[in-house]
Amino acid sequence: MSEKPHGRVFDLSLHLLDRQVLDRDGRMVCKVDDLEFERGADGSLYVAAILVGQRALSHRIGGRLGVWIRSIAQRLSTDDVPRIDFAQEDDIGSAIKLGASRDSLGVAPLEDWVREHIVSRVPGSRHESE
Amino acid sequence: MRASDLIGREVVGADGARIGVITDLRCIQDGPLRGTQAALRVDSLLVSRHHTGSVLGYDRERQRGPWVIGALVRFLHRSMHVVPWSAVEDEGPPVRLRPGPRITS
Repeated sequence: MSEKPHGRVFDLSLHLLDRQVLDRDGRMVCKVDDLEFERGADGSLYVAAILVGQRALSHRIGGRLGVWIRSIAQRLSTDDVPRIDFAQEDDIGSAIKLGASRDSLGVAPLEDWVREHIVSRVPGSRHESE
Repeated sequence: MRASDLIGREVVGADGARIGVITDLRCIQDGPLRGTQAALRVDSLLVSRHHTGSVLGYDRERQRGPWVIGALVRFLHRSMHVVPWSAVEDEGPPVRLRPGPRITS
């Protein structure tokens, strides 16, 4: 008979990939497009980071469609694939909850830029008390 | 290495015989502390001979739900193996297992 594991058990494809990521205030951050592993000293693989964005997703989709998505995404940004260190993870449930604020993660630079430079200047975009 | 590198990858035995395709990676949250939580360690591979789709959790006893879907998923994955990560000799591709007990359906 196999020994019952001590920690919680997750199937990555079932429980993590494509799940919504929320920040500490419950605001939506992104979806889990892929997961990056790092190797421990004992040779085990550990989940190290959530990878975000079209380039991460294109790697997962693969094939011609993946190449097509990646080539477009690379034209829009030459930076590294945005990632969230898994140390930020606070809880895994129907969504992945983080202990950090969305603003500090920098995983959606275009969205952040649009919010700061365009949406914030639209009359009525802020809360009435601000 | 990424999850997408392993999911979908073919698995062969020590003799090179095909066993199936990785459909999912089972992790246990028992690794060293990472932030406020234990790290997720890859514990085993879910390997299916016939189908590469997800088993939707129907391989677990506590997963209840529409029995028709459960029966269909169990039929599609009737030859699914849970291969411990410690049995992996080479991550490939293809993933090659160490010599040991022969994995059968």
